[in-house]
Amino acid sequence: MHSDQPSAADDPAEVADDVDEAALARVMHTVPLGAAVLAGSMVALVVIGYLLIYLLIFIPRGTIG
Amino acid sequence: MTELHPEMHERRILGTELSWAFGVGVLIALSLGIIVVTALTMGINPPSNVERIDPKTLHLSGEFAEQNLGTSVGPDGHATVRIIATQFMFVPRCIAVPRGRGVTLRLATPDVIHGILITGTNVNTMVVPGYVAQVHTEFTRDGDLLMPCHEYCGIGHSEMWATVQVMTDNQFKPGADGRVSCAQR
Repeated sequence: MHSDQPSAADDPAEVADDVDEAALARVMHTVPLGAAVLAGSMVALVVIGYLLIYLLIFIPRGTIG
Repeated sequence: MTELHPEMHERRILGTELSWAFGVGVLIALSLGIIVVTALTMGINPPSNVERIDPKTLHLSGEFAEQNLGTSVGPDGHATVRIIATQFMFVPRCIAVPRGRGVTLRLATPDVIHGILITGTNVNTMVVPGYVAQVHTEFTRDGDLLMPCHEYCGIGHSEMWATVQVMTDNQFKPGADGRVSCAQR
């Protein structure tokens, strides 16, 4: 490297922050629960929609085969 | 809050993933169960029929000759409807069917792929050249229903539709030959 070119290590944005492991553990304790609640509610909405269409529209339309 | 050992983290994540997989398994079993139960108890199945017919000669003789088209009623009261789907009309254009009794729709085409559905019912099938499409159903409400072609079949596709006249027992009176035509309304 030429001497007048700065190293990336000189730029604070390019250097990893010091991670507080305790703080990370605290965050990681609650994040999966939130993700599970969010994904679970969205899946529940889709399933409820499917059941409503199946029971209120498809079944009353009669037999088929 | 205590700091978790990395191995505990792994176990917790694995536990979450296994719980989620179990939930997904329950949902799949539930939806398959609904399909199987309705198929066994209510007779709701995807129409399935593999029966060959020569599209070049189907209108000349046999089941789909002109005199056999339309609705005929068997001795057991079961109605069978034979329809030709052709560019760009159904023959016949009006179909009489009974309410609350078993009906079998049989369709064939001499030209290209068509498709039918009957509004407000679960009747929905493709009509493929070389095969007889067959659907068993029962109509629960009387009145006129629309039966359009739902597979693009050419420039006149949008004009290709028929009427299904669902009749009560008082109106649905087969003639001596067991055939029924639409009532003039």
